[in-house]
Amino acid sequence: MSNFSCHFLIAMLLLLGPLPAAPQAPAVGSLEVSGRVKIDGKQEKLSRKRFYLLRGGLNENKELVARLKAVEITSRDCFYSQMNASSEFICWLKAENCDSPYCRDATAEEVELVPEFLTAYKKGLKQFRGRTAVAQDWLTTNLPPNLVSGYYRQRRALTDNLLSDIRPLQSSMTDSVTVKAIFIDIPVSADGTNPKTSGTFLVSNILPIEFGNKSYVWACEVEIGTSKPASLRLQVPENNKPVKNCEVAVRDLPVCKTGSCPPK
Amino acid sequence: MKNRIRLFLIALVAAFSAASLLPVTTAQKRRDNFSHATASHKKIDCSSCHKVPTANWIQARGFPDVADYPGHDSCIQCHRNDFFRGNRPAICSTCHVTSSPRGEARFAFPVRSRSQEFSTIFPHDVHQNLIASSKKSRSDVAVAHFVRAGFKAAADDDKPQFNNCAICHATPAEVPKFESRILGSLQPLTDAAAESFTPTAAFFKDAPNTHASCFNCHYQNQKPNRTDCAGCHVLTKPYFESNVIKRFSLKFNHQDKDHINKDCTTCHVRITQNADLKTMMNADVPILTCSTSSCHGDNIKTEISQREASITASQPAFQCTYCHTPSIGRFQIPPSHQSR
Repeated sequence: MSNFSCHFLIAMLLLLGPLPAAPQAPAVGSLEVSGRVKIDGKQEKLSRKRFYLLRGGLNENKELVARLKAVEITSRDCFYSQMNASSEFICWLKAENCDSPYCRDATAEEVELVPEFLTAYKKGLKQFRGRTAVAQDWLTTNLPPNLVSGYYRQRRALTDNLLSDIRPLQSSMTDSVTVKAIFIDIPVSADGTNPKTSGTFLVSNILPIEFGNKSYVWACEVEIGTSKPASLRLQVPENNKPVKNCEVAVRDLPVCKTGSCPPK
Repeated sequence: MKNRIRLFLIALVAAFSAASLLPVTTAQKRRDNFSHATASHKKIDCSSCHKVPTANWIQARGFPDVADYPGHDSCIQCHRNDFFRGNRPAICSTCHVTSSPRGEARFAFPVRSRSQEFSTIFPHDVHQNLIASSKKSRSDVAVAHFVRAGFKAAADDDKPQFNNCAICHATPAEVPKFESRILGSLQPLTDAAAESFTPTAAFFKDAPNTHASCFNCHYQNQKPNRTDCAGCHVLTKPYFESNVIKRFSLKFNHQDKDHINKDCTTCHVRITQNADLKTMMNADVPILTCSTSSCHGDNIKTEISQREASITASQPAFQCTYCHTPSIGRFQIPPSHQSR
C-alpha cells in the first residue's frame, strides 16, 4: 500500500472517531407452562394447546381479560349444525374428536356413509380421470370450503378479535409428552435496554378450550426473571375459590341439536 | 489491420458453428442456466407457462401435478428467433435432451440435481394449529392429516402423539448432504481437530420436495392453491443449494431411544410459532432444551467450563465435541449457551 493510501486511511479513521460501543444483549428469561390440569378431580392433559405471552400483568391487560371473560364461543357441533352439515358428517367428526375433515382418512365405507364425502368423491372421480385413490385421498379438495376450514377460520377470527390491537410477544404450544409450552428468549424489559432483571407478563390461551361440556380460558400473571426459568401450572377454580394471580373463565358450552351418533 | 478483422470474424463464425454442435454436457449446462429471475420472466404470470396439471400427470406422478416443462407456445412469443438459430438451436437444450427438430425426449422434470431458484413458504404455525394425530397413512399418495388439537382425556401410558411432523419430515433412507451451521458473528479460536465422526441417516429428517404433501389439501379451494404458485414459492438469491441440511449439532440423533420418545415440539419449541422459516434467525431447538436437561446438562456445563479454563490458562482453546463436530466446536461460545 502506498504511503498516501496509509495516510488517507488513518485520516479517515481519525475523522470517524472512536467505535460505538457494542449494543448490550437484552436481558432475557424463560417460562414453562404446564398443561396438566385437574378438572373435576381428575388430572387432564391440555396437549397441543396454544398459549400466548403478553407483556404486563392482569391490571395492565384488564380490557383484554374482560373480553376473555365475556367471550361466547360457537362450539364445534354448533358450527357444523349452522353450516347445515349432515348428522353423518358431524358424527364422523365426533367419532375421533376431530375439528375438521383434515383429521383423518375417510375409509371407503365412510365415503359411502357420509353424504358430503360421497358428493366430493364423485366430483373427484370425474376431475381426476377415474383415479379412485386420488379421489378418496384428496376428498377435502372437493368438499365445500366451510366444511373444510370454516371452523378453523372462525376460531382464528375470534382470536384476532379478542386480541384486537394487542400483539403478543410470543406464542407456544403444549407438546403431547411433557404437556408443557416453553417460552424462551423473553426480553424482561420492554425497551430491551433497561437493566431490569425481571418483568411481569400475562399468559393466556385467548381462545377458549373446549373440554367436555365446558370451555376454559386462562389469563395468568407471571413474574419472569433472568436468574432462573419461571413456571406456571394452570389450575381450575375449586369450590368457587379464585386461582391466585389468574382469571379463569369456565363456561358451559352452548348445546346444539346434532342428532344421535352410533356408538363407536 | 484488415487481416486482424478477418481473423476475428473467422474466429467468431467458428465459435457460432461450434455452439450449434453442443455436446450433451454443455446442453445440460444450458438447461441449468434457465433463470426464472430475469426481468422479462419475472413479469410473466407463472400460470401463463406452467399448466397444472400437465397432460402427463398420470404416468409421471399418479396424482395431478406439474410434471413436465411448459410447451413451446410459452417460449416462442419472445424467443422465436432463438428457435431457428442454427441447425441445433441452443434454446432446445433448456428442456430437450438433444437439439434437433425430432429430438422430442426431455430431461426429467423437475431437474433434481440442480440448485433451486425458489424457496418455499410454509407457515408451520398455521399448520401446527391444525395438526394432531394421524390414524393411518398411505405410501402411494402422501396424505396429511391436520386435526383438532384434541383436548382428549389421555391416559398416562398413552403413546406420544408426534403432531404429524413425520408426515412431512421422515427419516431419510440415505445420509443426505449435510454441513455444519455456523453463526456468522462468531470467530474460530483454533484450527479444527481431525474429524472422526460421521452421522448416519438416522440423525436427520428430510423435508418434502414435491407437491404430493401439499396438493392433497391445497389443490383447489384451500388457498394457496395450485394456480397460485407465488403463494408458496418465492424467488430467492439464484441459486441456493436446497438439499443440504445445515445443523449446529451434527451429533444429534433423532432416532436415539431417548429422543424418539419425545414429541418433536418438546425440543423444536420455536417451530410452533413460526410463519416463515426464513425469519428464524436462531436455532429452532434452543440449547436450553439440552443444557437444562438431566440427560445432557452436566456434559454441556463441563465442556463450557473446560473451554473457559483453557482460555484463562492461555492454552489452546478447548474444543467442544459432546454435541459438535470440530468444525464448529472450535468457535467462540455463543451467548445462547450462557443464557436462560
